[in-house]
Amino acid sequence: MELDYLMTVILSSLSSASILLIATIGLAVVYGLMGVINLAHGEFLMVGAYSALTATQIGIPYPLAIPFAIMVTMLIGAIVECLIIRKLYGRIFDTMLATWGLGMVFNQGAVLLFGTVSPGIGMPQYSLTIGQYSLAIYPLIMIAVAILMLAFVYFLMTKTVYGMKARASIQAPQMAQAIGIESSNVNTLTFAIGCGLAGFAGAILLPIIPATPSMGLFFAVKGFLTVVVAGPVALTGSAVTALGLGGGSSITASFLTSVVGDVFFFLMTALLLWLYPLGISSKWRRKL
Amino acid sequence: MKNYLMTGVMTLTMTLFTNSTLAETKIGAIFDLTGGLNIYGIQQNNALNLAVESINANGGVLGEPVKVVSYDAQSELSKYTQYANTSVLRDRISAMFAGLTSSSREAIRPIFRKANIPYFYSSLYEGGACDKQTFVTGSSASQQLSVLIKWAVEKYGKRIYIMAPDYNFGTISGHWIHEYAKENGATVVGEDYLALSVTDYAPTIQKIQAAKPDVVVALPVGANQTGFLEQFAAAGLKKSIGLVSTNYGSGNQQVVVSPEAGEGLISSMGYFPSVDNPANVQFKKLWEAKYGDETPIVAGAVDTWNAVHLWAAAANKAGSTDSNAVIAALESGISFDAPNGKVTLEAGSHHLRQDIYIAEGNDKHSFNILSTFADSAPAYENAKCDLITNPKTVAHFTPEDK
Repeated sequence: MELDYLMTVILSSLSSASILLIATIGLAVVYGLMGVINLAHGEFLMVGAYSALTATQIGIPYPLAIPFAIMVTMLIGAIVECLIIRKLYGRIFDTMLATWGLGMVFNQGAVLLFGTVSPGIGMPQYSLTIGQYSLAIYPLIMIAVAILMLAFVYFLMTKTVYGMKARASIQAPQMAQAIGIESSNVNTLTFAIGCGLAGFAGAILLPIIPATPSMGLFFAVKGFLTVVVAGPVALTGSAVTALGLGGGSSITASFLTSVVGDVFFFLMTALLLWLYPLGISSKWRRKL
Repeated sequence: MKNYLMTGVMTLTMTLFTNSTLAETKIGAIFDLTGGLNIYGIQQNNALNLAVESINANGGVLGEPVKVVSYDAQSELSKYTQYANTSVLRDRISAMFAGLTSSSREAIRPIFRKANIPYFYSSLYEGGACDKQTFVTGSSASQQLSVLIKWAVEKYGKRIYIMAPDYNFGTISGHWIHEYAKENGATVVGEDYLALSVTDYAPTIQKIQAAKPDVVVALPVGANQTGFLEQFAAAGLKKSIGLVSTNYGSGNQQVVVSPEAGEGLISSMGYFPSVDNPANVQFKKLWEAKYGDETPIVAGAVDTWNAVHLWAAAANKAGSTDSNAVIAALESGISFDAPNGKVTLEAGSHHLRQDIYIAEGNDKHSFNILSTFADSAPAYENAKCDLITNPKTVAHFTPEDK
């Protein structure tokens, strides 16, 4: 095996894992902090993608379209929390059902609003050459984006007052309320942040994955499995899982076929859940 | 108030009942109006309604207006069989126009065969469907690939790489690519069959670079696989390797990919909006007046338009909408002046002789036509399927079972 091929495989597998992680972090935050599995997460990603796309179409430059997408999805997330999620705390299956239905509504809403095909914004046409192989630059940048995103969420949740309140409100809501935390407001914000992260993912991945009404579905499945395998230490666990499953399936796909790559992903998921029914991080002594 | 309501309900019920007893001609339509496949289904349905409108405006079929009973299959197979049965048993349709994927066609084909109702399938597909009631107005894989591979080998060179979806459309097309490559003295240096859910094309891009082909035959299906084209261009491969396809543009992928990635991609299909003939000008005028010009018209829509007109012409020719008479008329070498050039229904194979176009993507999200292969025969279907001498044939021929 030539060295240049090996290098490109490693780099592109890292970027595949990063893309999976970027798409999953929002889900991990909401699950880890609130115990809510948001099955509409993929659709929030889609909303983010369309928001960014619409912004660029009316002339806003792409880098500014990303914060716009975050704001839109956070706002929608906050509304959804107040109207639906709030009423279903502690009822995990009911929340899953409700968010699944919500996802369908968003999906069809996007068809009605934007039609079935929208122009993509294209990927920056820069490539990196290693030996005989060349790689598109933009997917490689996603490695740095994933690291930054992870660092940001970790800092937000462990080092800020909001982060402490957020964890307090969900772990011991009555105690939190007793010391003066408006736990319901905090939860609304947490859910909105989770959705905002999905919106960010949709916007930043837009050049790689064009905006379509059903784009969320594929991320929902793999993101959901990643979070479940990760277990209670949602953030670090998801990072490790995305690297292992996403990177592993990409490497398998490079040497064998994409189908075998997918088989690897799902078999490993099954195997890990059999070995660690509560997720790989169930015995870790970390907060997040 | 209650009285009004009652009268309303009564009138409604009565109209419903009287309607079903009126001797008007009904045709059925089942397309994916919602769900992942609606990029094709909505346009197929629009084309059907437009065709029926234009037929009715010109006196209808046998002097009676045609009525459409339309269903949304929601991109789900189970809905296809459910609505197919409903349309046969309750609606008593005279002809059916339905389906996009091969699996949807195979799911409902037996229902119309049993009911003896002509069924029109209007999409490009892998080819080989054969029975007395089924009529295919899309182009088949061998019809498109025979001209495309020859053209690509001459233009780019003899090393071919295949990127295709991992189901029968992709694998059967792959088989034809092998066959036509051999015929033209070329070799297939690598192939990758991908699940529809794949979004990460880095492994495929690397394998392509390792195999060093002159041309990639890419058959991306669905929104995700469109991402492949973007990544192919961004990795800088477009400069040294050609990319040809038989379905790029069939779901308006040329609108989704950026102009930089779409420019220079080659597609071969039975219709492009830029086809230049009077029937197409007329068709586009009707279409744009009703549906606007924002979304380009896809090949599947024109295939549906042709199907409805062929059926209407056959019914008028037969002087009846009775199934046996219509099928006999359809098998009489009937032809139609279509937006994609003149099309002729082959009596034996129930497939269309039609023009096949090779077009190049430009930087304006659309296509320039490079060459036209007029009156291309569905050679494989004609060779395998002869419903005149063997009217009892019920098959889906694949090139593997020789």
